[in-house]
Amino acid sequence: MPIKRVAPGVVRVEPRKLSLSERVYLPQIVAGMFITLRHLLKNLFNLKKLPIISYPEVKRVYSERFRGRHILTTREDGTTRCVACYMCSTACPAECITIEAGEDERTREKFPVRYDIDLLRCVFCGYCVDACPEDAIYMTRDYEMAIDTRARAVVGLRDLVVPPNFPVEPMGWRPYYGELEKKGTAGGTGLGQPLRQAPYPDDAPPNPDLYRGA
Amino acid sequence: MSTLTRYSAIPYTGPAPTNREPYVPVEATKMDARGGELAGRLRVEQERGQDLPTLLVEKERIVEVLRALKEELRFTLPLDLWAVDYPNREKRFDVMYQLYSLDNNERVRLKVAVDEDESVDSSMAVYKGFDWFEREAYDMYGVRFAGHPNLRRILTHEAFQGHALRKDYDPAQRWLCTEKDVAKLIPKIDPRFENLDTDFERVTLNLGPSHPATHGTLRIVVTLDGEKIIGTEQEIGYLHRCFEKSCETHTYQQAIPFTDRLNYMSAIINNVGYCMAVEKLLGLEVPARAQYVRLVLSEFMRIADHLVCIGTNLVDMGALTNFWYLFQPREEIYGLIEACCGARLLPSYTRIGGLAVDVPPNFLEDAQRLVNMMPKYIDDVDNLVARNKIFLDRVVGVAPISAQDAIDFGFTGPCLRACGVPFDVRKATPYLGYETYEWDVPIADGGDTYARYLVRMEEMRQSLRILQQAIDRGLPPGPVMVDNPYVALPPKEKVYNEMESLIYHFKLIMHGIQPPVGETYFQVEGGNGELGFYIVSDGTKNPYRVRSRPPCFAIYQAYGQMITGQTIPDAIAALGSLNIIAGELDR
Repeated sequence: MPIKRVAPGVVRVEPRKLSLSERVYLPQIVAGMFITLRHLLKNLFNLKKLPIISYPEVKRVYSERFRGRHILTTREDGTTRCVACYMCSTACPAECITIEAGEDERTREKFPVRYDIDLLRCVFCGYCVDACPEDAIYMTRDYEMAIDTRARAVVGLRDLVVPPNFPVEPMGWRPYYGELEKKGTAGGTGLGQPLRQAPYPDDAPPNPDLYRGA
Repeated sequence: MSTLTRYSAIPYTGPAPTNREPYVPVEATKMDARGGELAGRLRVEQERGQDLPTLLVEKERIVEVLRALKEELRFTLPLDLWAVDYPNREKRFDVMYQLYSLDNNERVRLKVAVDEDESVDSSMAVYKGFDWFEREAYDMYGVRFAGHPNLRRILTHEAFQGHALRKDYDPAQRWLCTEKDVAKLIPKIDPRFENLDTDFERVTLNLGPSHPATHGTLRIVVTLDGEKIIGTEQEIGYLHRCFEKSCETHTYQQAIPFTDRLNYMSAIINNVGYCMAVEKLLGLEVPARAQYVRLVLSEFMRIADHLVCIGTNLVDMGALTNFWYLFQPREEIYGLIEACCGARLLPSYTRIGGLAVDVPPNFLEDAQRLVNMMPKYIDDVDNLVARNKIFLDRVVGVAPISAQDAIDFGFTGPCLRACGVPFDVRKATPYLGYETYEWDVPIADGGDTYARYLVRMEEMRQSLRILQQAIDRGLPPGPVMVDNPYVALPPKEKVYNEMESLIYHFKLIMHGIQPPVGETYFQVEGGNGELGFYIVSDGTKNPYRVRSRPPCFAIYQAYGQMITGQTIPDAIAALGSLNIIAGELDR
């Protein structure tokens, strides 16, 4: 469309006059179909580059900042890192985290007796990860959270706690610091980014019980 | 009233004590001088130390003052009308008006103190655009506007009791709306068509609230005479979630995810607008790198917003290919956002004082790739439809609005620019360094659906111009968050290893950011027009009042007038071109 400067910093968009062939319409419908046909043929010979992902056979890999389902990390001795300080539940804008604290008889350490996240309330903002002073809660790149009852949306310690030495490097949203920040692995931006074929050995959910049902 | 008293569980005891100095904006002296000038001319009182010229008007004189402001001082654009509740004051409510002068590029704010059992004269006789805003203030606060022709609830439903934004309203209450409570809407027949003598029977038809062409939960009731729409009535509020009340019950930082859900097509712009409003209140200077990233992502989001608007508008007219085709570049933009912050639609990327995390290392290359690919998509669609006879027949002259009417209704953004008024917040009051870039505000003539299409198309190209210049300048070095322990969370490694940082971390999460006592308004150019945030702080961790000025709200109230006399297919085409986003409309 021709644009005309009418004032400093202001342009007027003026519709172009229609030519005779455009007014007659039929030649233009053919021209329009040629544009569409060109795309069709181009795509037909470039099936690999089609901007379509055959989900769920093929999955897109999201960036290492992806805010998916949460996990609670564990110390080497198998206890959860969480010390039930209520920081995450305070920072949570959706009020979806419920914590009950207990005390270890032997070590006098505080730990969560109950740690529930209501995934239907959760807005996946990542504030819990930012608020945690103990490196205890991370977000994974797992985004498949379909459930069939509301009760199963509430995940507890059993579903959240991962085994010791669980590799947190390929996780999603996590505290960025030190080496991780410098490395700053970015995901793709849609097209041209890595895809994974099913089955996906590397992204099995940390605790498959969640998917089998409570 | 009985229910309200029964549930009034929150005793409000006035502003909490704070040891912080009241907020005095930098430009206060200049604004006070201008405010004094206006106050002297209108013979009203003036409130000093505000970020805008602020006039205190007695409620008896408000219509007179508004008329003088509009006619003599050329404050023609009614931007916003809202209320604030101060239960401990003698006169409980402040009704606030904000006006803008297109000729002189200046703003003015009026405050009218009203008590619970008083009413204030409706300003609709002066500004048509305050129609829905007055209804909203009535709905949320119970402020009555004498002389308003249709003063009923707008965002909440008929079975709702009490007024949700009053300080003594318990936000935990729920009200059930059943079918028998729902008001039957009977559209008022437009006087032009009252005596229309046709053979057709008059039919009243419901469009929405869940109709595929409304792209959101909007309900439009139309009365048809044959195919001609002769009367309309709109009902909104289906997506109302009381964003403003939620902000009052959460901390400043926690409100950021809520702002995502206003205009969810361009969520980053909402994040930026809200954060900049709070930063203005705090007097914070955000690092250059954060400002740069905010600008780049805002422009990408604007393009994504317009792509969806044009795509869905075309799909309403049967051009499905364009819709799918335009979703591809949008998808790529969301990929870039996801690489930055881990979420696509609802990023919550900015924080008060900067950004949540730094951008990924390949940010600029990705941005450059997007800027390179975008023109092809825009041009292809332009070639397909801009001179297409079918498209032109559907859009040229459809649902036009004159520049005069658009200004009177409080239009901003592309819909106002399509009427030939070159008002853009990025030019009028530049923020984030927009003034340092070379770009133009596109306008078009006619104010019809076609003009809105042309303006949006050109705006995307202008955004690409800004982006190309920004990418050429490169990312400024430095941090993305201010170095202030009262605002920014300390780096995690320090939290794990240093006592001092751990204390700041705990303090900030538990007690939040506590801005000084005061009020401020900040505006950004959203995808649909001026998106403003008005924030009152009482010195505590929760905002006392957050008001968002939704551009859709002003635009959508003119929709009924725009489609009267047109047909249903035209109404659908016009609705798509206005780009009404229910999340922002209903808040």
